[in-house]
Amino acid sequence: MAAQPEYIIEMLGITKRFPGIVANDNITLQLRKGEIHALLGENGAGKSTLMSVLFGMYQPEEGVIKKNGEVVKINDPNDATALGIGMVHQHFKLIEVFTVLDNIILGAETTKLGFLQKKEARKKVEALSEKYGLHVDLDAKVEDITVGMQQRVEILKMLYRDNEILIFDEPTAVLTPQEIEELMHTMRGFAKEGKSILFISHKLNEIMEVSDRVTVLRKGKGIGTVNTCDTNKQALSNMMVGRPVQLEIQKDEAKPKDTVLSVRDLHVKSRIHKKDAVKGVSFDVHAGEIVCIAGIDGNGQTELVYGLTGLEKPEKGSITLCGRDISHASIAARGENMSHIPEDRHKHGLVLDFTLEQNLVLQRFQEKQFQHAGFIDNVSVRKYAERLIDKFDVRSGQGPVTRARSMSGGNQQKAIIARELDRDKSLVVAVQPTRGLDVGAIEYIHGQLVAERDAGKAILLVSLELDEVMSLSDRILVMYEGEIVGELDPKKTSVQELGLYMAGAKRDAGKEETA
Amino acid sequence: MKDRLDGFWSKDGTRTVLASLASIIIGLLVGCVVILVVGYTSGNLSPKSAWEGVRIVLANIFSTGRTDGVLTFGFNPVSTGNMLFRATPLIMTGLSVAVAFKTGLFNIGAPGQYLMGTMASLMLALSIPSDVIHPVIIWFIAFLGGMAAGALWGCIPGLVKAYLNINEVLASIMTNWIAANVVTWAFENSNFRNMVENTKSGYVYKTTYNGVETAKLGLDKIFPGSQVNGGIVVAVLIAILMYIVINKTTLGYQLKACGSNRHAARYAGIKDKRNIVLSMAIAGALAGGGAALYYLSGNTEFYWSTYQSLPATGFNGIPVALLAANSPLGVIFTGIFMSMLDIAGQQLTSLTPYNEYLTDVIIAVIVYLSAFSLVIKMLITGKKKRRQLESIPKLGYEPGEKKAADAAETQKGGEAE
Repeated sequence: MAAQPEYIIEMLGITKRFPGIVANDNITLQLRKGEIHALLGENGAGKSTLMSVLFGMYQPEEGVIKKNGEVVKINDPNDATALGIGMVHQHFKLIEVFTVLDNIILGAETTKLGFLQKKEARKKVEALSEKYGLHVDLDAKVEDITVGMQQRVEILKMLYRDNEILIFDEPTAVLTPQEIEELMHTMRGFAKEGKSILFISHKLNEIMEVSDRVTVLRKGKGIGTVNTCDTNKQALSNMMVGRPVQLEIQKDEAKPKDTVLSVRDLHVKSRIHKKDAVKGVSFDVHAGEIVCIAGIDGNGQTELVYGLTGLEKPEKGSITLCGRDISHASIAARGENMSHIPEDRHKHGLVLDFTLEQNLVLQRFQEKQFQHAGFIDNVSVRKYAERLIDKFDVRSGQGPVTRARSMSGGNQQKAIIARELDRDKSLVVAVQPTRGLDVGAIEYIHGQLVAERDAGKAILLVSLELDEVMSLSDRILVMYEGEIVGELDPKKTSVQELGLYMAGAKRDAGKEETA
Repeated sequence: MKDRLDGFWSKDGTRTVLASLASIIIGLLVGCVVILVVGYTSGNLSPKSAWEGVRIVLANIFSTGRTDGVLTFGFNPVSTGNMLFRATPLIMTGLSVAVAFKTGLFNIGAPGQYLMGTMASLMLALSIPSDVIHPVIIWFIAFLGGMAAGALWGCIPGLVKAYLNINEVLASIMTNWIAANVVTWAFENSNFRNMVENTKSGYVYKTTYNGVETAKLGLDKIFPGSQVNGGIVVAVLIAILMYIVINKTTLGYQLKACGSNRHAARYAGIKDKRNIVLSMAIAGALAGGGAALYYLSGNTEFYWSTYQSLPATGFNGIPVALLAANSPLGVIFTGIFMSMLDIAGQQLTSLTPYNEYLTDVIIAVIVYLSAFSLVIKMLITGKKKRRQLESIPKLGYEPGEKKAADAAETQKGGEAE
């Protein structure tokens, strides 16, 4: 092609309406060849809809899509594939019981007389994986490999189909910091090869690091496209939210008081390999401080929380909460002094088929104010729900009677936080409370946690986000392979040092003994 | 809450009722078409008798027989009364399936629970001397005994599910056949076998041998000559009671929470295992109670050598619940409707050259369609949901965490999305 048009893909004036909502309102997005173009917006801003239009899953009511300057019609994902557009969905589309190789060639198999030619396919995939440093075990079953590797399989799927326009829908949401680093590297490699990348995200750090240009969407409208080098995090987040956002957490010095939670030599079994995932952990949390458990995902944090909250029975060790030994107490008994913002809001946090108000009394429906002689007092449940919805600004279609399933992720999380914080317990266990949320919601949740701390609550935070760990906590405990390998003061440490502890390259001298 | 219910009724509820009605109508039409096709193609049947068959299927309980070779129609107290009588156990087994399903369990064990209820209620009703204890009291003891036996039998799959994580469907299928053999064995070694009427050696005495029968509550005056009795009233009251328990009480709230997301229920401190067992026990009690209401009527006989077959009433609870979309109140109507088809089958047999198996065709079509209508409804809502997802992207599962946590246990409740 001699005269290259400036843009490889143009989406001009795209409007997509759903009943009651304009998901995309006259949005224009232009992708240059060989660039990494970020699409930034809060939950519900219309990013995914726009990408679904490009991928042929939706037909826009207005607007045109051009490839290399020529108008194209994309009726379904097959058309998109034919145009060289590939997409890595946020939730991978892989067949778990198939091998990696089978997944990659699925739908694009080379055959001879109806027989699969896997050898050729294998050669091609191996060459691709070599070229881009995407290491996968081609004969492993997808269900046995890590999430990061599954993502590499998805990427290889696109490469195998010779796609030149690669869409990544929130690719980093499921990855560890190291895997994110690798992915960024891979993406840059693709761009260098001349492939064009659309990168959907609401994580400002990543966008600043990897993208060339950013298009910001807000509430279905295109706010603008800027060169990444001409902007900064604050400006982008203002564009995204539509008002100045506090990126830094405002908080005073912690004033720790009495010990609320005391854990001694706790051992908790893993559900996966039945060995101890938590190996003799001891620590204290005091009233009026935020203690953060940092670490790379899968180093025993989940099991530690299960052991504390009673979702899993500890093998050994003692847990004392507010002076009471709760090592063998039931979940309900532990709940008397502990509230728990769970890691998985869909699995543990909410009954998705229940209404919002039913979810807000999940632990409290037995209380006298909500029931009389076994009959639920719907009036007081409604009143309570309305108060919480109002106080915590939980937004939903129909208020208290909205099905939890139909709420956005951010508001589902807000509902859980409202429920847990309003229970007003001495200890708050918050596991990744802001995961997957947008800047506005994160700002709000951080503010709430700091307010709880200042009100004299003890807060145990488990987080994988280094920024959150550094900015929110008063004390950091680093977990590595089921042990606490270091205790750090966020004001006296650096992200680099924290990273060394997290990777197991460094541990406190004192901690060695307990190991 | 009332507004909420009204609102719910005006949307999802109405759609469900419409879907069920549609499958009923299509089922009846298909039945009629089958009658006509058979009538017009078979040399033995006249088109006239085919159209008579159609009229009887459509008139159903309002068919009053044949006078001077012409079909007559009108209020038929015998058919109507018998319809209500036969609806009684169907409503109960339908409730059994529906209540279990509301709490996330599929109770395919209703036949076994029904058999155990039959055994317990019959043995109690026949063995307690009625000259010492008033028959009405015996009736209540036998009824409650039937429920208790069903509850115990329902507990077994519940316990196995809660503590060993074995699917309740598998366990229920096994307990069904165990029940069939236990019941046969128990009656074979009992003196409840009917030895008085020689031709009926395979049957147990009617409870009237001991003077025990369900009170008529005046229903025999409204439907003279039919088998109807107060059992239908009991069944309707229990259906209303189940509606209240499921929708208005903390118990129902807990059961539903465990049913739709066992993990979240556990997280909230609700005893999930206890609730699974309880739910199956309630389901079993309902099926057992249905059997008690049927056999305590005084005009039914139980064929005790049942080790090779399971009672159809137990299985028919599944279509009854399905057609009612698992609503306890809906079960009252679908139960009556199913027994109405039964009556139509009888009318076909006695008044036309067709036989009752034709109504099986109708029932089969309706069951298929009602299953499909659920699927279609799910497709519609599923599509909507996906659209919402696309337009308002929510944070879903993080597959890694989900997989890790779910690796050890795969529960229906966990797959919330």
